[in-house]
Amino acid sequence: MKKTASLKTLLNPDKIAVIGASKSKDKVGGIIFKRLLDSRRRLFPVNPKETAIEGHKVSPNIQSLPDDIDLAVITISAAAAVKSVESCIKKGIPNYIIVAGGFGEVGEEGKELEERLRKLAKDNNVNILGPNSLGIFLPDENIDTIFVEHADKALDRKGKVAVIVQSGSVGVEALGYASNTGYGMRAFIGLGNKCDLDEIDFLDFFAKDVNTNCLGFYLENIEKGRQFLAAAKEVTKEKPVVILKAGRTHTAVSAVSSHTGKLAGSDNVISGALKQFGIQRVYDDEEFCDATKVLSMLSGAPGNRVAVLTAAGGYGVMCTDYIEKKEMRALLTMAKLSENTKKKIKDATFPFTACENPVDITASADDRMFSESLDALIEDKGVDVIICIAFFAPPGITENLIDIIAEKTKKSEKPVIVFTKYGPFTDNSIKNLFYAGVVAYPSIGRAVRAARFLVERTKIKQRLDQEV
Amino acid sequence: MEKKIKFWLEGLGNKNPDEYDAKQLVTLYSIKVPKGKRLKPKEEFNADDINPPFVLKVCSSNILHKTELQGVILNNDKECVQDNLKLMRQRFPNENILVENQTNFFGPEFIIGIIKDPALGHAVMVGAGGVLTEIYKDTAFRLAPCSVNEAKDMIDELILSPVFENYRGMTLDKEKFAITISQVSKLADDMGPELSQLDINPIVFSEGEWIALDVKVMFDEE
Repeated sequence: MKKTASLKTLLNPDKIAVIGASKSKDKVGGIIFKRLLDSRRRLFPVNPKETAIEGHKVSPNIQSLPDDIDLAVITISAAAAVKSVESCIKKGIPNYIIVAGGFGEVGEEGKELEERLRKLAKDNNVNILGPNSLGIFLPDENIDTIFVEHADKALDRKGKVAVIVQSGSVGVEALGYASNTGYGMRAFIGLGNKCDLDEIDFLDFFAKDVNTNCLGFYLENIEKGRQFLAAAKEVTKEKPVVILKAGRTHTAVSAVSSHTGKLAGSDNVISGALKQFGIQRVYDDEEFCDATKVLSMLSGAPGNRVAVLTAAGGYGVMCTDYIEKKEMRALLTMAKLSENTKKKIKDATFPFTACENPVDITASADDRMFSESLDALIEDKGVDVIICIAFFAPPGITENLIDIIAEKTKKSEKPVIVFTKYGPFTDNSIKNLFYAGVVAYPSIGRAVRAARFLVERTKIKQRLDQEV
Repeated sequence: MEKKIKFWLEGLGNKNPDEYDAKQLVTLYSIKVPKGKRLKPKEEFNADDINPPFVLKVCSSNILHKTELQGVILNNDKECVQDNLKLMRQRFPNENILVENQTNFFGPEFIIGIIKDPALGHAVMVGAGGVLTEIYKDTAFRLAPCSVNEAKDMIDELILSPVFENYRGMTLDKEKFAITISQVSKLADDMGPELSQLDINPIVFSEGEWIALDVKVMFDEE
């Protein structure tokens, strides 16, 4: 319990000491300090070689810091970082982020240093994030300690996805990728070497966090495998949990003579285990962002019958192919539209409109036609999910379509997913849709895959609700 | 450890379990095996308490692939069984021979297995079985122990799963199969880390029951 309470301070501190803060923008201590200037928190830089940075008085050493610091961000190298944690503990500082590498990942000496940190955390009941942590980033709290260049401006405020990553660059690229097309992030946590705080601590924390509705993990190893799975299963009863598990390291037993052992390979056991515990697995950063985005913005799908609305015939056919493809994540099927729906669409569009699903209202369509056809599909009881293929090139279609789709999506119980493309403006269109509250993707395959995540999520939820 | 497993281990003593021992183990978890008898070298076979047709198998923990070594003779009736037993004795003079009633079955062969993952512990597997199991690679895994409902999800994941939905008139009992998978996972969980691998291959559906035709159990070396 105590840990959750202090994780709150770690992620939302009032007073932050930056050990190794620097004037130089090339130094980690300089970059992090500069980022924290935007946090509107009280900052206490420590550096014996500096006297003032950006109008902040610099303490020459840790001893001269005030007594009520919430968080120390340690930006100096490995051996010095451990010593400074020792000094900070004497000052009673409860939370640490250690950025430096050069610990367990580099050899015996580093391992010893990491072991010292582990012991310090354990003996003194303090929280240490890292070492080798990328830092933390919480857009709504204005807290950002990430020292590498990363996209952040386009990340929406009031985001609800907690992203917890073990390794740096994959996380940063996911950030950049997500922010290009709009993504609602609640928090970004770089776990690093996990000498103290690990995925289970943050799983517990964000499970209880009212501002989080979806948790995404990028993990290379899960040391406390069973414990993590059991905890995650509890969370998935309320919030979707997505895992990108890289490094398929679960080599089965060394001397395998059984058929089962040979068939287990390196990855089948973890795949089965994740399914068993209600965790949705993804295989790369793009899929990670796609899945967490749709799961955070839409709450599952009532069934697996998909209707497709398009103004471009070719994409309608491709979409059908994707939907009918047998993917074990979740099976989808093309919805069979009612006669009433078909009549409504024909009345709203043209007598020649192809009204069998996919519904092709052709490039002659305009905003109103799109809007009324979408209404008809939403009202059809035989439809569970709608994929809109929205192109802005046809002369009758304007940017107003974004608001039209957004308004209907908000009112509808049924999820609406958009596939859009617009030459060099694609990312921008997706971002505008996102700001309006609509989930959109730049390829047909990804839009259909997103529908599978929703169907998979609902099935997991139903299964867990049935368990007593 | 469960009492029944303890007794089984004590009965085994220091030797590695052979097919007969392994079958005794799974029957402790309500998994059915063909009626059979393990004959010591030179022991006579009296056909009275097992019904024909018979299958003869060399029964040794040292021999992993019986078929390749001509260690299996199928389709023995009462007339030829003694001659074929003699033939087996010539091939394997120092080994035990297992005589079993040969199960008549329909539908595909399945495999149920256990593997110990270094990080996650025991996992249970179900898949398309038989001698070609490693070619099909049609499998599903869950951590042990797994519930009957989880076992049903595993079955649904298989490419073979339509055979449980009345495919070409097949009436395989999915519920009983799921219970069997769950029981195997429970066995692994009860036995603990000592259990390294277990194969039930094939397991088939015969006269309303799932029957384990061959079982292998392997312990960790240390």
